[in-house]
Amino acid sequence: MKNALMAALLIAVSVPAYAAGKRAELDGVWILFRAEIGKVQLTPEGEKKRAAYDYQKDDPDFQCKPASITRVMHTPSPPIEVRQHPDYVEVNYEFMDVRRRVPLKKGLALKDAPYAARNYPHLGRSVGQYDGEALVVETAGQRAGVLDTLGVPGLYQSDQMRTVERFIPNGDKMQIVVTHQDPVYFVEPFTVTFNYLRLPGGKIEKWDCKPEEATFERFIPNKK
Amino acid sequence: MYRKCAAAAMIAGWVFFSCAAGIAHHSVAANFDSSKSLDIVGKVKEVEIRNPHSQITLLVAKPGGGVTEFYVEWSDKNALLRRSVPVTKIHVGDMVTVNVSPSKRLPNLGYFRTATLPDGTVLKDCGFAAFREGIAKGKTGCEENAR
Repeated sequence: MKNALMAALLIAVSVPAYAAGKRAELDGVWILFRAEIGKVQLTPEGEKKRAAYDYQKDDPDFQCKPASITRVMHTPSPPIEVRQHPDYVEVNYEFMDVRRRVPLKKGLALKDAPYAARNYPHLGRSVGQYDGEALVVETAGQRAGVLDTLGVPGLYQSDQMRTVERFIPNGDKMQIVVTHQDPVYFVEPFTVTFNYLRLPGGKIEKWDCKPEEATFERFIPNKK
Repeated sequence: MYRKCAAAAMIAGWVFFSCAAGIAHHSVAANFDSSKSLDIVGKVKEVEIRNPHSQITLLVAKPGGGVTEFYVEWSDKNALLRRSVPVTKIHVGDMVTVNVSPSKRLPNLGYFRTATLPDGTVLKDCGFAAFREGIAKGKTGCEENAR
């Protein structure tokens, strides 16, 4: 009996840190409850891009392309999934079938990290680590283009954009705070806070977006 | 709401947004006037339940004769299934009355609210906001959709 107890204790102690404590609550499927955008101060170049933005021509949604992780998370209905592993974290987004694999390798420089979403390299290279109970994901190497079309339409990012996402567990709630830093289009860093609810029994389904079905021209008779 | 934000931003001299998601150009709130509703009577030409948006095409009689196409925009397929909306009840060839929120930009476009089917059944969709509220209250989402 004593040996059995000792064995159980040893197993409990040897459970990897990623699964221990509150951070284990991050695992699951989540649905967006609310998104809040902080103070956004554009540079003159950012203002110029925003003024020229024409959603019918410039919105990557119409080509079935995820503009950025911020844009992906801004889409209200498709859920996201977090799965933590000893040396990486999977973040799967139903919207546009984005599947992200973020390495948890101490000392790995962002420039040496693999593209997090192999099917969408323009979303950049990411590295993750834990800060207490929060998962922190840093990303760089994102391709210049549209950053967001919801919340604030016509925000652009340069290839200097760097983001830090903090995944904060709270039982059946999760918050992801994304700090964006891009000196080309933004005077100072700004945050977008995504508040999620756990989706019981939730599953990430295939999105399977087809550009010919997503195009704005589907609203124009005889152009479908 | 968007105008208020933009005006505030102009006054302040910088762009300040703390508005909730969904006020942008490519969103239901920005593109459709949810304060209005319109009944469109027509014959179902196509039902496309798909991502990123579903679409029903109706053939609507024109006052002077002939028909014109009216497009009913709807949620993505995955969301409709998650909300248990019985989308298979709408069939090509059916004469239906679809109640929509009209587009703010295009005259031949509206956003789905309800559909009255040939047998009088009213097809409803609680929508994402109600689904989300249901989840927040510990329910499975929109139970009434499945009725």
